[in-house]
Amino acid sequence: MRIFEHIHIDWLGKRKLFYTISLSLFLIGWINVFVRGLHFGIDFKGGTEIVLQFDKAVNVSTVRQYVDNIGLGFVELKTFGGETGVLVRTESQNIPPSIFPKVVTQIDSAIDKIYPGIPKTKIDTTAGSITYAFANPDTTNSIITQLLNAGYQAGKVSEEPTNTQMVVRVGIADWIKDNLRLRMPDNHFQIIKEDHVGPKVGNELKTNAVIAIVLSLIGILIYLAFRFKFIFAVGAVVALFHDVLITIGLYAALYGVIPGLNLEIDLTVVAAFLTLIGYSVNDTVIVFDRVRENLKIHKTMPLEELINQSVNRTMSRTILTAGTVLLAVFVLLIFGGEVLRAFSFTLFFGTITGTYSSIFIASALVLEYANRFQKKVTF
Amino acid sequence: MKEYRFKLILILMAVVLSIYLLYPTYVDYQNQKMINKIVAEKENEIKAQDPKISASTLDSKLKAVEDSIKNADPSITKMKLKSIKLGLDLQGGMRVVLEVNTGKLLEKLAKSPDDVFKRVMAQSEKEATLSDESVVSIVAKNFAARGIRLSRYFGNIRQDDKEIVSDLQKDADDAVTRAMEIIRNRVDQYGVSEPTIQRQGSRRIIVELPGVAREEEAKQLLQGTALLEFKLVKDPEFTISVMKKIDDVLAGTYAADTAKADTNNSPNSKVAKKETKQNKVASSDTSTKQMSAEEFAAKHPFFTIAMLDPKGKTADAYVRADERDKLQMMLNRPDVQSVIPDNIQFVFSAKPIGNQNGQDIYMLYCVDKNPLLTGGVITNAVATISPETSAPIVNMEMNSDGSADWARITGANVGKRIAIILDGVVYSAPVVQNKITGGRSQISGSGDLQEAQLLAIVLKAGALPAPVDIIEERTVGPSLGQDSINSGFNSTLIGFLVVSFFMIMYYQRAGTIAAASLIFTILFILGFLAGFNATLTLPGIAGIILTIGMAVDANVLIYERIREEMETGKTLKASVDSGFSKAYSAIIDSNITTFITGVILYQFGTGPVQGFALTLMIGLGASLFSALVIARVVFDYMVAKGIKLTIG
Repeated sequence: MRIFEHIHIDWLGKRKLFYTISLSLFLIGWINVFVRGLHFGIDFKGGTEIVLQFDKAVNVSTVRQYVDNIGLGFVELKTFGGETGVLVRTESQNIPPSIFPKVVTQIDSAIDKIYPGIPKTKIDTTAGSITYAFANPDTTNSIITQLLNAGYQAGKVSEEPTNTQMVVRVGIADWIKDNLRLRMPDNHFQIIKEDHVGPKVGNELKTNAVIAIVLSLIGILIYLAFRFKFIFAVGAVVALFHDVLITIGLYAALYGVIPGLNLEIDLTVVAAFLTLIGYSVNDTVIVFDRVRENLKIHKTMPLEELINQSVNRTMSRTILTAGTVLLAVFVLLIFGGEVLRAFSFTLFFGTITGTYSSIFIASALVLEYANRFQKKVTF
Repeated sequence: MKEYRFKLILILMAVVLSIYLLYPTYVDYQNQKMINKIVAEKENEIKAQDPKISASTLDSKLKAVEDSIKNADPSITKMKLKSIKLGLDLQGGMRVVLEVNTGKLLEKLAKSPDDVFKRVMAQSEKEATLSDESVVSIVAKNFAARGIRLSRYFGNIRQDDKEIVSDLQKDADDAVTRAMEIIRNRVDQYGVSEPTIQRQGSRRIIVELPGVAREEEAKQLLQGTALLEFKLVKDPEFTISVMKKIDDVLAGTYAADTAKADTNNSPNSKVAKKETKQNKVASSDTSTKQMSAEEFAAKHPFFTIAMLDPKGKTADAYVRADERDKLQMMLNRPDVQSVIPDNIQFVFSAKPIGNQNGQDIYMLYCVDKNPLLTGGVITNAVATISPETSAPIVNMEMNSDGSADWARITGANVGKRIAIILDGVVYSAPVVQNKITGGRSQISGSGDLQEAQLLAIVLKAGALPAPVDIIEERTVGPSLGQDSINSGFNSTLIGFLVVSFFMIMYYQRAGTIAAASLIFTILFILGFLAGFNATLTLPGIAGIILTIGMAVDANVLIYERIREEMETGKTLKASVDSGFSKAYSAIIDSNITTFITGVILYQFGTGPVQGFALTLMIGLGASLFSALVIARVVFDYMVAKGIKLTIG
């Protein structure tokens, strides 16, 4: 079986067309980025995310109704996986002071349920914890064990045997869980995933992601400059920028458009971008490799014709190699499960733009450079 | 044939090595399946008996069942260690990043905190949440801005700000070490298998707890405070008499116990049978010496595990690391408990005291249950080298309350030993030389300075807790992990089939070779992961699938080139030769660029993403080997033998 054999198409003659296509894709994407914004996951924003797996099917709007009035402000809810999975997310780091009395009342009533009417004093309340004191160490220990079993984060203040104080920590996630447990008593749930990222960590991860992307672009630039000519390296890296920027634009444009596809930028998506950078340069290298070879053989052929010939000759292998990767990534997109969906999506569309830019953008840039500076590219 | 010999041997070695490295993973998978089945049956049994059982009791009961299976057959643990490690996102578990709360620590260190101090601290803490600067320097800066000297709250009046800042910095640094030690100690005792505890940067600790089902408890464990106690070690005569009683109880019921295990735990009987079979094999060629060892084990089940040194002056027993759990279970039995006096307890040493035949040896101490003193009274502890003996020592200071008690306690117990116990395990059990008044004690007997430093850390834990905050937490439940494994496995299989089908359709026989070398690529990746004890994560599986798509790239490049060469009228052999050699440069260049991003990803990624980078890099190497060596040998062989080779 053969495809694209012996094609003689003047690709470079049509390069203005490809510039227009790329530019419009870029503009559509980035207008969306500026108007609708990019949606980052909690990895970069900081916040709390819980995925609950209920015993019975639930309606997200029912859960929303319970979560909306617990005082956390905006809480995002989504289905996760099947009908029984719900993802709850909030950007808040701590429980707002305004609802703290509510939290205290709830813990008080939980203690009362264990030992009705037991004397207790509240020693200290901070943004995330309440400290109680009881009459004697045994009562304290017993209450702690029972609260722990009920799902509260209770612990001793000190391990000294004479300790009579108990601290109950209440984080955002705990508050959501406690409330849902209370309001949906006939539909139990399990926590299948819980992430909490502090604001500082989020910022650090963001910086690291940017550094990683920039470093890999530089790495590729240096390697290709060393193996080919500097201008080839520039062409390849500009093509990579093109791929990354267009895919990011696509993220903004398609956010919330396709149901069931959660396009948020998190750590795995950044990993996908980096892979995309590493992979999409492959096709560029294949074309450049042929240009390099032809430059050695046909020393007098005009550069435009030579590049055209190289692109045409390598067309079938470029399409094929991209095709097999697309096949594998498509399988991942369909069967890889909820956690990897955004990751596979990035790779899928990234591979398409990557292949397109390898063929039509990277070599065109080399030609533009040679034309503008009247340089002769030789090896 | 001769020319391929080297390559053939190389390929064969790689394949055999991969299979050898993967074998434990296969066995472990089978073992795990068996254990899960037994545990699930047991769970139903327990639930049927007591429907209201609390989650934590159930957990601990099931854990005991699992442990007993593992104890019965040590090869299970051995295989587990050699098999491919699954990341937390696949097996479920918790990853927690803790940060030592330097602000709180400074509040504790401050001499007389007033309102101004509290205001400055509050402001500094707010700044610190978003800044990379250390909290100590932020606090110092804020005090300086108000014209307040640090000596008003910290250190002494003669010290200038710079000195105090460096002292405080050291205190903050110590607190991280202390927190790590406390956490390590607790996690060990909590019984999490294969935990990792790492220090990151200046004041962060990363804790990874695989398979933790109850996250509230685990979080409490990590953030809770530590308890330091001084307990009197019982004298040898008393200890040995108690141990003898325990030994008798265990020996008396030993036979009945095994019978019970055989009939009651029907799911267990398979393991038990396996064990007896092994015993039979062993006994058929036994020497008299082995027989007597077995006899000794039957007569003295306790002393077989808790070995006493016949020449030793103390009654501290030596216990092998793999038998600690077994011993603990023995001690917890109600009939054994009944012969142990109420006011004493057995405690282990915190660290192994030595190593025998590759097994760590722990010490078992018998101590008074009631502490003589708890660690709140300690004000400072420093490890140094003694000027007189040049041996490592720890200097310990106490506050005035503690000093008075300490003088009374040491006075009454001269010549006896006092165990220093943190969270239930013994760090040291020095002998009291004389009555210590004034609260300054010197503890000698540490093996080296490092050991002394650890003891100082432990002693300080009583004085100065190291408050930690959770700044990042990721928990994956076991069910999501299992779902991820399943979908990962399915995707890999489907990906492989789809890509192979395509290659065979497009390149016919040559495509079949590519598909076959794809199997080798996957085999090598997995073998490498197992051999280097690397961790497989969900993105890691994605990396394998992506590799499947990318691995055939090299084949495509070569085949397209061979086709081109054949069109120029070359013979098949010449085309294959020049096809391979001309495709080299493109293959190498394109793979190296991907590899570069893999390396960067590994450097900057965390957890699961690192797993992806790793499989991606291994996959690149493996696929190059498959395409350039394996496929080449097959091609050359077919060409040489004149076997018809079709490339579409």
